[in-house]
Amino acid sequence: MSSAPPAAPLPAQHAPLNDDFAELATLPVVPARHYGRWLAGALVVVLTAQFLHGLATNPGWDWPTFFDYLLAESVLKAVWLTIQLTFYGTALGFTLGVLLAVMRLSRSPVLRAVAWTYVWAFRSIPLIVQLLFWFNLAYLYRELGLGIPFGPVFWTFETMHLVGPLAAAVIGLALHQAAYAAEIVRGGIIAVDSGQREAAAALGLPKARQLRRIVLPQAMRGILPNAANEIISLFKGTSIVSVMALGELFYQVQVIYGRNGRVVPLLMVATVWYIVLTTVLTVVQHAVERRFARGAEREPTPGPFRRAREALQRPPWAARLARRGQAPPGAAPEAPGTPEARAGGAR
Amino acid sequence: MSGPAPMVEVRGVRKSFGGVEVLHGIDLTVAAGEVTVILGPSGSGKSTLLRAINHLERPDAGLVRVDGALMGLRRVGGRLHELRERAVLRQRARIGFVFQNFHLFPHLTALENVAEAPVGALRRPRARARREAAALLDRVGLGDRLDAYPRQLSGGQQQRVAIARALALSPRVLLFDEPTSALDPELVGEVLTVIRDLARGGTTMLVVTHEMGFAREIADTVVFMDQGRIVEQGPPDAVLDRPRHPRTRAFLAQVR
Repeated sequence: MSSAPPAAPLPAQHAPLNDDFAELATLPVVPARHYGRWLAGALVVVLTAQFLHGLATNPGWDWPTFFDYLLAESVLKAVWLTIQLTFYGTALGFTLGVLLAVMRLSRSPVLRAVAWTYVWAFRSIPLIVQLLFWFNLAYLYRELGLGIPFGPVFWTFETMHLVGPLAAAVIGLALHQAAYAAEIVRGGIIAVDSGQREAAAALGLPKARQLRRIVLPQAMRGILPNAANEIISLFKGTSIVSVMALGELFYQVQVIYGRNGRVVPLLMVATVWYIVLTTVLTVVQHAVERRFARGAEREPTPGPFRRAREALQRPPWAARLARRGQAPPGAAPEAPGTPEARAGGAR
Repeated sequence: MSGPAPMVEVRGVRKSFGGVEVLHGIDLTVAAGEVTVILGPSGSGKSTLLRAINHLERPDAGLVRVDGALMGLRRVGGRLHELRERAVLRQRARIGFVFQNFHLFPHLTALENVAEAPVGALRRPRARARREAAALLDRVGLGDRLDAYPRQLSGGQQQRVAIARALALSPRVLLFDEPTSALDPELVGEVLTVIRDLARGGTTMLVVTHEMGFAREIADTVVFMDQGRIVEQGPPDAVLDRPRHPRTRAFLAQVR
């Protein structure tokens, strides 16, 4: 033992294995090349460039006309009416929808049946048909009265004056929306763990407070994505109101191109406004969803601005560049080839 | 024995689910300040009995009286009138209930969980409710986690918040439905410590549990249930060490 050379006593025992690893650890790692991915990416970029080039150069788009009308007063007025229709349709529709959802979940068979029938009826009637019914309400009922059912009537109104085109449109949109909202809200409520209601009942919380404070805030997480879908689709659905000759965005654009014949640029005016406002709604949706996600995750997710800032500070491709440019490390065995180094770069 | 006045009285309580009777007429009395532990195999009706006491389940037959007040019913002359939901909720606010799965409100912080019932059910001013909630959380050892959401807490911490939430109503009785059964073994101790302190403080309690050592330690009375009936009851050393009924013996032999 003591006569053994002091230079390499231990490695000698594991020589083949150890030498092999020591050498491997010094080799650089070449990332896999994804030729198919590059090809597909290049193809998509070329097609997109072609489309954008067409947008810019094809005279048919008629951009000067587009810019003439994008901020024209008549168009802005129409945009404002579209926003109003969406707002009232959403507010009234969802208020009635929550009421219907609670009715369908109530223990009273009468309330349940009424709510069920409402949803059945208003999901069955096409919105455009319903709108025309409301528009022609005066044909069915010349006067509307307020009084005791089947008894004397105290006040009467001329239907024509009470339910003008705007009111008819709002009523139609809201009643239609309520049927869908009811199902969305009901879906959110029944998805809340029954133990939550039970705990609230065990604490003696009044029924209304159980719903408002315990059940609905939790149901909101399930309701919000669907509700946002509905609001956005209602917002674009307001274009149906154009059948009632109400000057919302789509009707107004039709009127203008009926006059000057520039169909495509004016449709683009409407399109751009719909896109802009939908984007605003999407941003609002994101913020509201974050608000109702409180307590849902152990780590609160950072807000969009913070995420964007962090992404800019160390974008994924920066990490890749850094790795690519890395000199092949010397004998440091834990540098390039270890899984954590690779995964760390990709994160 | 004419001990202290009864706090919980259960007479002839029956309950069926889907045609199957799970409580076959239960009689039980718990004196004020006493701790009663209910044991029994799963499906024996322990939880249903506890839930019948605070009327989370309305019994099909029989009566429950808590602190002298008939639960869910009101005597008018020669008749008993069923109380409406609102009145039952008010009665429930005087009974604390701790669930096996905590059922904390996940969208509210620990402090908001505890302060919710005093504000919502007892109409206490918010500031006072929050102050008292903070003191209660401190008492169960969570004074430094007031603003944590339930998902940020361990199981044992969540159950302690749930106990503080039940205590916030200053209940006359506390009902525990297997409070440690959903916990990892190393977290059971911290919850039992809190319950033990409450027992020593003279709170009237009914506890359903499978922790035998704990039952022996805190119980004034042990009740053994099987198949919807109370089979045997008495002081812990009598029921646990010298069970008279064969079914009690079989059960104890299994859990040991």
